[in-house]
Amino acid sequence: MFIKFFDSLKKNGVNVSLGEWLDLQKALDSGLCGGSLTRFYYVARMILIKSETDYDKYDAAFEETFKAVQHETEVGAQMLRWLDKSDMMELAHEEARHHLNQTEDIMIDKEDVEEKFRQRLKDQDSEHNGGSFWIGTMGKTSFGNMGGNVGGVRVGGQTGYQSAFSVIGVRKYRDFRDDRVMTNRQFQLAFRRLRQFSSRLDIPESELDIDRTVDKTCQNGGYLQIQMRKPRKNSVKLLLLMDSGGTMIPYSALLNDLFQAVNKSNHYKDVKCYYFHNCIYDHVYKTPECENGDWVETEWMFRNLDSDYKVLIIGDAAMAPEELYSDTGNYRGSNGGLSGYEWLKLVKRHYKRVVWLNPKMAPGHAPWREAETAVKEMFPMYKLTVDGLNRAMTQLMAPGR
Amino acid sequence: MANEFQGTKDYVASNELLDSVNIAMALEKPLLIKGEPGTGKTQLAQAVADNLGMRLIVWNIKSTTKAQDGLYIYDTIQRLYDGQFGESGVDDIAKYIKLGKLGEAFDSEEQVVLLIDEIDKADLEFPNDLLWELDRMEFYIGETHRTVKAKHRPIVIITSNAEKELPDAFLRRCIFHYIDFPGPELMEEIVRVHYPDVEANLLKEAMDVFYAIREIRDIRKKPSTSELIDWVNALQIGGISADRIRAELPFVGVVIKKDEDLEIIRHGGIH
Repeated sequence: MFIKFFDSLKKNGVNVSLGEWLDLQKALDSGLCGGSLTRFYYVARMILIKSETDYDKYDAAFEETFKAVQHETEVGAQMLRWLDKSDMMELAHEEARHHLNQTEDIMIDKEDVEEKFRQRLKDQDSEHNGGSFWIGTMGKTSFGNMGGNVGGVRVGGQTGYQSAFSVIGVRKYRDFRDDRVMTNRQFQLAFRRLRQFSSRLDIPESELDIDRTVDKTCQNGGYLQIQMRKPRKNSVKLLLLMDSGGTMIPYSALLNDLFQAVNKSNHYKDVKCYYFHNCIYDHVYKTPECENGDWVETEWMFRNLDSDYKVLIIGDAAMAPEELYSDTGNYRGSNGGLSGYEWLKLVKRHYKRVVWLNPKMAPGHAPWREAETAVKEMFPMYKLTVDGLNRAMTQLMAPGR
Repeated sequence: MANEFQGTKDYVASNELLDSVNIAMALEKPLLIKGEPGTGKTQLAQAVADNLGMRLIVWNIKSTTKAQDGLYIYDTIQRLYDGQFGESGVDDIAKYIKLGKLGEAFDSEEQVVLLIDEIDKADLEFPNDLLWELDRMEFYIGETHRTVKAKHRPIVIITSNAEKELPDAFLRRCIFHYIDFPGPELMEEIVRVHYPDVEANLLKEAMDVFYAIREIRDIRKKPSTSELIDWVNALQIGGISADRIRAELPFVGVVIKKDEDLEIIRHGGIH
């Protein structure tokens, strides 16, 4: 069974080394887990898992291996999807308050609720929202989430209010997964990568290293021995080009976070930020409002920001085909004689390192998203997540062209 | 286990956290603690030391700290001075070797608790530079040909704020525990450790508002445990009655440290 657990961890993407596995055996041998599965859960997690981003994967593997030992209240993934209706939160709150006022003195029998829950789990075969019998969202049965029933069993989702008896199947550490869309702090951490790699830049040793000079001179019996080092200054220059077209509005909070994170990363030699509307044409705008006139010529940008700038383009690459391919495709102004596609090619030609971050990138090959596919062929494109941004940073710092 | 960490009356810890300390001790591995700021990572080491009656040695890591600093420093400049001014004992290099915190912990006559605080502050390679020393619990001083070996294996507790990824090779050698943000019950216990006779209504109301603030999605810096404790204290000293807390948010500056966050709360209110 334990080997099965090992396999299951590997399958879920947790990289457990043999050394760690042997440590776990040692812990088991010395009786650290007692006889309890719960203790085993924690002990094994402490030894095998070294980052909270992997807790969720660990939970999945643990559940997979030991679910037979668990209570039979196992909530299927399909059912959790039916219940994932966090956008209805507000509405549900409203209803819940209303409902609570009327049902303050209902007595709840926990055992009874759990019993029924298990029964209904067996019977249910489809998604239900707003009903009064099946497990679903916003309903009045005792099961499901965001419901108005006090003292029911909550199934996944966000906590509406605290009265549910028990939280079954909630994946507590899901928020820590590093393939999830990120927050400001995580953005900042990712941007630090650009600094970390900058010390490995190929630059001459041009600074006097006083400490090592003193050291060497002393060790040399007082005869001066000069030591030089690479300057520790960060020589990374960053150019941000952000799409602020209509389709990007749902991501404005995310982009704001990203922008803040770049601003707080004050370790760059220079940061420039310009905006564009759907696609880059002959002008880039100075503000996210993209008002005509408040702009610089794209060619001015090429002239003044040299090819060493690392370019980060953030956009959904969801242009209409004519916006990308026609030389009159810019419906907000002139094209400058070139199509958007050609302008993008100029960006690629001018700058050594360009990456594209896309908040709603389609996974894998997506030929139906014509523009996205075309852009993806031109620039390395990553999804705007912790993982994606980190890979983008690595790409930006990679040596050579 | 005779030497088992049970928590102290000043330090409230979850069972998992207590377990993690004991497992790290049993397996003789460093314990790596991560968690949100203000979840008591640093205090843990103090509590372990108090509880087991051992001395605590703290090694505070800064961005400029090097692994070598923790082992020993060869004070070459002092030696140069002494040599120039003809001080006696210049031949004796050992006189100019000063043990760092790690060296001190190894060299101690009795078992100690060593806290390596905020290891992620240092350079990326820092943890890797310590692998051998932490594994073997010894290091070699080249200048004096002396090997410093731990007489009693210190209990090593390492904290990290997750500012940097730690290297895999280092992680593999540690026991890892992530301190969850305390839930209301544990939180109440923690506050009561600091202020045993805080009025129940006041505490409940303050905690409700505190968790409500943490729930607001736009908040940039979520308030932490220590901020709640300070707030409860401020409310007590200010003689604020429980029913005024939610509506007026007195002394909210203790909990909210950013202008933008203050703005969000003023406009949105607490639900």
